Amino acid sequence: MNQADVSKLMSQLRIAIRPRHRNLKNKDGPEGRLLKLRKTVTALVKHERIELFYNRADEARGYAELLISNAIRHGDTHNATMEMADYWLLEKQLVHKLFKVLVPRYENYTVSYTRMFNAPRTYPGIYYKNSVLELRGNPYPSLIVDQSQNKNLLHNVLLDEARKEYRRKKLAELAQ
Amino acid sequence: MLGGVVFKLRDLGLMKLTGSMVIHVRGKGHLNRPRIRNPHWFLRKKLSNIGELTTSDNKVFINQLVRENYNEADVSNNLKVYEQNLMKTEASISSPSIVISQNRRCGTIARKIGEYPLWLNNGEKIRTTLLQIIDNHIISYIPPEKYSPAHYPNVKNVNKFGCLLVGAGTINPTWLTKEYCGIFHESRVMPKKMLARFLVSPEAALHPGTALNVAHYRVGEFVDVRGKTIDYGFQGVVKRFGFKGMPASHGVTKTHRRVGNIGGGGEKGRVWPGTKMPGRMGSRWRINKGLQVLRTYLKYNVMWVQGSAVPGPTGGIVYLYDTILPHRKKKISSIASLSYENIDKVTDDIWSEKLHRFKDIRMTHKNE
Amino acid sequence: MNVSTRFLINRLGKQCAFNRIVTYSTKSTEHAAANAVETEKEPKIKETTASTASEASIPIRKPVIPANYRFIYPEFLPDPKIEWRNPIREKLERMDMLDRRRQIDLPEFYVGSIMAVTSSDPHAEGKVSRFVGICIHRDRCGLRARFILRNVIDHQGIEVIYELYDPTIQKVEVLRLEKRLDDSLFYLRDALPEYSTFDENMEAEQLEEGAPVPVNDIKVVLRPRPWLERWERQNLRGVANIDQYLKDKHRQSARRVQKPWEKYDLMKQYRATIPEEEQNEIFAEVYAELHAQELQRKRNKRKRTFVKPKQLA
Repeated sequence: MNQADVSKLMSQLRIAIRPRHRNLKNKDGPEGRLLKLRKTVTALVKHERIELFYNRADEARGYAELLISNAIRHGDTHNATMEMADYWLLEKQLVHKLFKVLVPRYENYTVSYTRMFNAPRTYPGIYYKNSVLELRGNPYPSLIVDQSQNKNLLHNVLLDEARKEYRRKKLAELAQ
Repeated sequence: MLGGVVFKLRDLGLMKLTGSMVIHVRGKGHLNRPRIRNPHWFLRKKLSNIGELTTSDNKVFINQLVRENYNEADVSNNLKVYEQNLMKTEASISSPSIVISQNRRCGTIARKIGEYPLWLNNGEKIRTTLLQIIDNHIISYIPPEKYSPAHYPNVKNVNKFGCLLVGAGTINPTWLTKEYCGIFHESRVMPKKMLARFLVSPEAALHPGTALNVAHYRVGEFVDVRGKTIDYGFQGVVKRFGFKGMPASHGVTKTHRRVGNIGGGGEKGRVWPGTKMPGRMGSRWRINKGLQVLRTYLKYNVMWVQGSAVPGPTGGIVYLYDTILPHRKKKISSIASLSYENIDKVTDDIWSEKLHRFKDIRMTHKNE
Repeated sequence: MNVSTRFLINRLGKQCAFNRIVTYSTKSTEHAAANAVETEKEPKIKETTASTASEASIPIRKPVIPANYRFIYPEFLPDPKIEWRNPIREKLERMDMLDRRRQIDLPEFYVGSIMAVTSSDPHAEGKVSRFVGICIHRDRCGLRARFILRNVIDHQGIEVIYELYDPTIQKVEVLRLEKRLDDSLFYLRDALPEYSTFDENMEAEQLEEGAPVPVNDIKVVLRPRPWLERWERQNLRGVANIDQYLKDKHRQSARRVQKPWEKYDLMKQYRATIPEEEQNEIFAEVYAELHAQELQRKRNKRKRTFVKPKQLA
């Protein structure tokens, strides 16, 4: 590859992309890889939050993002996009969900459409990283507890005091 | 012995950083002295918790403090200060600013940002590699009499050289540990992502806080580039050493890319040391010597060196030194910081004379 | 490739409401400032690229940069391989390309166009050589961009590889501006010679202003086997008689190597393209210069086509 492909135009993704794909070991080769990821993407669109191995989730994430971004870009009257949605979503009612629910939800987003979290591994168990992949704006309760506004954490208490002192000092300097 | 080390540490300014240090004085201290003595800048760098749990008010407060401690004006001034930054050492007083070829100048830390072709005046195409010097600053200087590393580098007359610590690359100081930030106290620059030490002659020592940029090198000079080569992982002999392999057909089975014979029998019936075999390829420090600087661009701090064999991947870090090859070395008057004086006179973009500039009119081969 | 740093930088960029997403963190504050200055110089272009529906007060204008720039100037788009990308290198390379384009007129051309290239050659008679031929391939990006011209001279097929930004090139003329059905025409090597024979003294054909570039749907006739490549595997549209030379085993093997799933591989396509946002940014940087050159070219063309009427009697 030494020249960009200009026949297609795509929107920039808001997630970090690996330089190369993962093979996701399977006996059917590159086609089998897509067939595998198809199930994951379908499940993601259907359930909006799924728990699975990290590698597969990370691969499927890019496809889900592109599927949504293309749907936003071209709308449901574009044949190629519809064909793509037909391939990637195994349950056909989800095609409606993609264009009627997800596109309006994500139209004005400036961040990525999906999120990924590291999930705990079962012990003893298979030594693969686990993860949770979800669509943003899903109806489930949030997975992370936002501690960033917790003023009662010790370092926040200390920093608050330091800040007050700093202000006082500044004011005193101004007064002189 | 331990006491001696402690005094040395104090001399190096480490005692200031660590605050108080408890010295256990015991007998036979010479027996359990530390065998591995890392340089004083080998410290834990990153904090494990980078403040995700602080409230937004406190985050603003921390950023405010950072801006006050390392005010941007100070740092950017450092970038613009190009006056004579030579240190007034005893050696430099005796022989002002002329540095002959035996003397070593400071090196720089650069990033390999890619390659592209340029053309010579005779129409020949050459490949060039672009190296970007990423805001280098002198962090500290250790004079030769105080510089005693655990392992001396393989350099002639090593005890005549001092050590310059150079930092490169910006990083958010709130992510860093206190002791790592302490290294930069003397030079008053923002903490740096990367550090490297360079051996220099006392005549060529620079003040802490001096900025190094691409004007440190002049077009036509030669540099040595040290970098870590691309890691190819575990490879077979065909890729690693360029063995030919065996034919694809003609009765060959199962030995298309294998080593073949690795030695004789009899008395020499063993694998000789150094036999080329499969193994880890790349990821080694290599120095590519004697690359000519063909073009420099001051605005982006980029220099073009000839050839495409600079070790490391695109985006990798390399270290630049003045070349040690005797015929390409500058013979005389390699003045350590002459480039800083003349900075106002030089233009942004300097090309070697043998290069064809794209701005020039087209090139023609004339009838003789 | 440090994925986490890139992610952080992306996130930072979004927080600062930058449109730009920097792939690598090579940029120091100085460069950022320099960029800011440059973008201020071209407020018009920036405004148009950043024109989104978000600002209701500003009337939405059509972007100034034509949509077909990526076809006309594909070499301005960098190599999409992520490991090799670097914003500063790409910027410097574009700067050098523009410097070269100021010295020489490099017109719009496509694979299938018939071109004449005059270049300085130390071994040629008069030190200058001119070659006329059909462009059968165009590849590489940046200063490495090149194209291949093919012609048949004295019953001998000749191909010359030219580098677009080679300073020994003195003149590039497009004699007939057209496209073909395929992206590369290497099959002309196995076609009958009349399909790649072009008159050396051919005159430039003028295309009407504003007219779309015509697609020549000529189908070439191949010679019988042996061929240089297995053309039956490449789904060529511009070949007339390929079926004539195929046996069942060829068809079967061609079917076996097809990869029909690749058209659904969105990430593969994404990794092979430059995203639209980045393209806009790149072309916004070079648009002013390229557009000025286009206008100049149009003016020259009009001058050439206008024939001064002779005064009779």
